[in-house]
Amino acid sequence: MRNGDGPVRDEERGTREPPAERADGPDGPRHTAEGVDGIPEQARSHPEIGVSSATAQPGAFPVRGGPPGPSAAEDTGEEPRAREMVTGGTMSEHERNAEQDAQGAQHERNTEQDARGAQHEPSDRHVQHDPQDRSGARAMFVELRKLQDGSAEYAELRNQLVRMHLPLVEHLARRFRNRGEPLDDLTQVATIGLIKSVDRFDPERGVEFSTYATPTVVGEIKRHFRDKGWAVRVPRRLQELRLALTTATAELSQLHGRSPTVHELAEKLAISEEEVLEGLESANAYSTLSLDVPDTDDESPAVADTLGAEDEALEGVEYRESLKPLLEDLPPREKRILLLRFFGNMTQSQIAQEVGISQMHVSRLLARTLAQLREKLLVEE
Amino acid sequence: MEVRVSQIAGEPATKDFVEVRLPAAGAYLSVLRTATAGLAARLDFTLDEIEDLRIAVDEACAILLQQAVPGSVLSCVFRLIDDSLEVTVSAPTTDGHAPSRDTFAWTVLSALAGKVDSSVAEDKTVAISLYKQRGAGPGSA
Repeated sequence: MRNGDGPVRDEERGTREPPAERADGPDGPRHTAEGVDGIPEQARSHPEIGVSSATAQPGAFPVRGGPPGPSAAEDTGEEPRAREMVTGGTMSEHERNAEQDAQGAQHERNTEQDARGAQHEPSDRHVQHDPQDRSGARAMFVELRKLQDGSAEYAELRNQLVRMHLPLVEHLARRFRNRGEPLDDLTQVATIGLIKSVDRFDPERGVEFSTYATPTVVGEIKRHFRDKGWAVRVPRRLQELRLALTTATAELSQLHGRSPTVHELAEKLAISEEEVLEGLESANAYSTLSLDVPDTDDESPAVADTLGAEDEALEGVEYRESLKPLLEDLPPREKRILLLRFFGNMTQSQIAQEVGISQMHVSRLLARTLAQLREKLLVEE
Repeated sequence: MEVRVSQIAGEPATKDFVEVRLPAAGAYLSVLRTATAGLAARLDFTLDEIEDLRIAVDEACAILLQQAVPGSVLSCVFRLIDDSLEVTVSAPTTDGHAPSRDTFAWTVLSALAGKVDSSVAEDKTVAISLYKQRGAGPGSA
């Protein structure tokens, strides 16, 4: 039944579960899934592995953990071996992501099985990854190939497949996380790789999708580093020279307890000093800094913020704000006079008429109020 | 901008110098930084010392440019004295103040270069000299 999925799973099943239990019950839905992929390859490998697991199981199992068992690998030759290697590669990833990824859960179970109690196994397995297990994905791919390109069902199924494998992408992107590129960018680039591999994957070949997708995704990430890693594009020769220089510098610093000279670097790399200088210069082009980047840490202002002149209007803001409460405190008559004088732009005699007092009085009141305001402003400061 | 290299016939190497003159404006400092780094690299300074020198020269020029006469010429002379590189940057200034020694910039400068001097000439030309010791033992260049 699921033998075609890989030797490891077969073997484990051989020991953990009584054959009778496999044939019925919770395995029901999977039958249909497996019915769909009538892959010749799987059919071929089926009996062989069946035999091998039946015969070699009891002795071989306790040793098993990582590498493929001799029996299974030999039986099916080159291809399962390759498959095994790649699933081995993704295994570590899935160990980290187990909770997000049903596939991962399955893998993990494969590796951890020796350690865990055998009795949890059957129920655990059947409940969790029924809809998303490997053959489920395989069946979906087979169906995807049958659908017409561009139809709504095709798009839906394709989306589903892409989404299903996003954890793989995240893991692969995370492997490159400490190389100076934002992880989000890497994830995005890797997702493009995943979409490409979903579009190109051929389920008829009998390879696991992750086997196919992993190199494609990693390739996409590497391409990103090659094309976008350098802020200013420099020739490949210099890109490689920079790498060599970085390594040599680290090595020589370690050796001498100080940073190396150009001469030493040239000697070490067996190139001319001019070439070393060229390489060092080109390293400046690797990363550029935005003017908006904070100076030292997140708290300090960005370079762009430290440029520019002082805004003189800022002082006005301060005056206006401190003047406001003082104006509020003025008696109504004084406030009115100020208003008429400075906002109504009236002369003192006009104000005198308006308020009904003499112009002299207005003048005196104005002078006094302004003096008071000035004084209070200074005190406030 | 111009670069002069001494050609004193028969004189020992101590009299050799390289002089770079450029407009006293911040925009041209990158040229001087690059020249400094290139020169130091060829004199077999270590990578760290080259970096220090580059920053020190930049810092010294920044101090000078604060009071330099607009449109004047900033001159930078490099001399190799024994095992250290002497860099003297000078420019005519408006005020003729010697750079004060309790500023952050000066601290940076002396930390990077080891020994720093400044002088003011009659004509208000201010000069800052840096001496950077070569650390990597006898030069093999």
